[in-house]
Amino acid sequence: MAEKKTAHRGRIWIISDSQGNLIENIDTDQIFHNAFLHITELSQMGQYALGNLEGWKDFSKKARSGDILVAGRNFGAGSSRQQAVDCFISLKIGLILVPSFGAIYFRNALNSGFPVLKSSVLEELVREKKLETGDEIEVDFLQGEGLSLSKDFSFRVEPMSSVQSDIFKAGNLFNYGKTMLKD
Amino acid sequence: MAQTFSEKIFSLKARRDVKAGEVVIVSPDYLLSHDNAAAIIQEFNKLGIKQVKNPQKIVIILDHVVPASTEKYAQNHQLIRKFVASQKLQNFFDINCGICHQVFSEKGFALPGKLILGSDSHTTSYGAFGAFAAGIGRSEVASLWAMDEIWLKVPETIKIELAGKLPPGVYTKDVILKIIGEQGADKANYKAVEFSGEAAKNFSLASRLTMTNMAAELGAKNGYFIPNEETIHFLEERKKEDYQIISSDDEAEFEEIIQVDVSSIEPQVACPHTVDKVKPVSEVVGTKFHQALIGTCTNGRLEDLRIAAKVLKGKKVHPAVRVLVIPASQETYRVSMKEGIMEIFSAAGCVVLNPGCGPCLGAHQGILAPAEVALSTANRNFRGRMGSRDSEIYLASPATVAASSLHGEITDPRTFL
Repeated sequence: MAEKKTAHRGRIWIISDSQGNLIENIDTDQIFHNAFLHITELSQMGQYALGNLEGWKDFSKKARSGDILVAGRNFGAGSSRQQAVDCFISLKIGLILVPSFGAIYFRNALNSGFPVLKSSVLEELVREKKLETGDEIEVDFLQGEGLSLSKDFSFRVEPMSSVQSDIFKAGNLFNYGKTMLKD
Repeated sequence: MAQTFSEKIFSLKARRDVKAGEVVIVSPDYLLSHDNAAAIIQEFNKLGIKQVKNPQKIVIILDHVVPASTEKYAQNHQLIRKFVASQKLQNFFDINCGICHQVFSEKGFALPGKLILGSDSHTTSYGAFGAFAAGIGRSEVASLWAMDEIWLKVPETIKIELAGKLPPGVYTKDVILKIIGEQGADKANYKAVEFSGEAAKNFSLASRLTMTNMAAELGAKNGYFIPNEETIHFLEERKKEDYQIISSDDEAEFEEIIQVDVSSIEPQVACPHTVDKVKPVSEVVGTKFHQALIGTCTNGRLEDLRIAAKVLKGKKVHPAVRVLVIPASQETYRVSMKEGIMEIFSAAGCVVLNPGCGPCLGAHQGILAPAEVALSTANRNFRGRMGSRDSEIYLASPATVAASSLHGEITDPRTFL
């Protein structure tokens, strides 16, 4: 298996409300509505991403492969539905970067080998307009460093824990488990 | 070394002394899934493994959309039934049993000192029995079906000490809503919550389940009560296997201790659209609504139905509201019928539905139209959860929902005592 890249560069989306503040507590009902829970095909899920979030219902049409999503604290609170992670994988989103995640959401993403990282400085950077939608940033998952290529500054990101980076490199939880059982 | 409940159970499972913050590889005692077993089966099939590793640990209970409301849901149920037969799974409960968390408890899987994982966020409920019970994702469950092992982080523990005595008309639903309102929906993200104190000792098992169920709404990995006599008695005839009570040492290191005096709490209501937007009932009295829901894994147990029936007895619900009642399980349903509770609901003009999740998650049996408002005993009021994203949900205790149903607007249940 090819080694997975442990850094990502992409265009960011600041998921904010009409006042420009990062939206907090975006729960899994807003990320992927109940009405579509019967969908089990990954390719069908992307179109519903953030489909129930005020102001962002058209996100799936605007997002491009490799884009980075920046949102407020407690992202992915609520139900354990994995479609709330898979819809972003389906859209080929490159990274989700928020101050904090709902616990099950974080595990779901981590175990799917999808990069999710936390940073405590995001609210401030967004408030000061240092991070804006459309900016190009690069984040090193293991070093925990974010770099704005648009505005030329760096910021702190919580690096992946060892279990997170191991699963990320293995591809997903199951592949990681298989390597463990071999040891 | 003094340990918390979580540290003890993970030390036992990992066969070494562990502390909060460590990552351990463990094998759970039971693994719950519901209708989402269909998605898990598809994940499992992709793994290229023929047989599940430990069939007796797998519990599947259909509850989310029962009976199936569309062809797609019917196909999902069909896929699950075929898988259950081909894998020879013994612990399967079809659409006629009830809500997974209630059935899992009644059938004796929820036991003190056990590690229980489930592909439902309210798996935290079983902490009421003194288990470590956490919700996980469906690919984690697929992986567990295949390998029977998973990584978990030993959580830090927040202890909530409950003092005082509940005033009349106030229930543990009000207590947990009050706590969530004050502490915030992400207070306990990835942490364990332990309920203790003098007040907690006297809480009934059903009342405890309401609190551990809603520990998920604090973001908690699990919520815990030390089992009391009622719990042990409940398990006597039901337990699937022997168990051992595990509890925190007095000197264990808690991340935080929160004190709550329940004597001063009044009935609480969570307002749209987050569970931590909590107000005392007095501030929302008079709010009109269209649909009431009495049931769910939070408040659909016998104790809850008895409280609601006491309020509704001999009266009629307001003509402008539709009142849905859903017993949490067939057992709850049967006992309620024997006690005459169903007769009361029916005579009052309520719609009694079959045991299951009902409209709580917006899949069927009472979807809300745009601009409609629901008052529910459930645990979540996220925007659009019960139907239209332009609808609203308020959450309250069964007493508050029943009393409000008579007036067609949010009402303080204490006026009915």
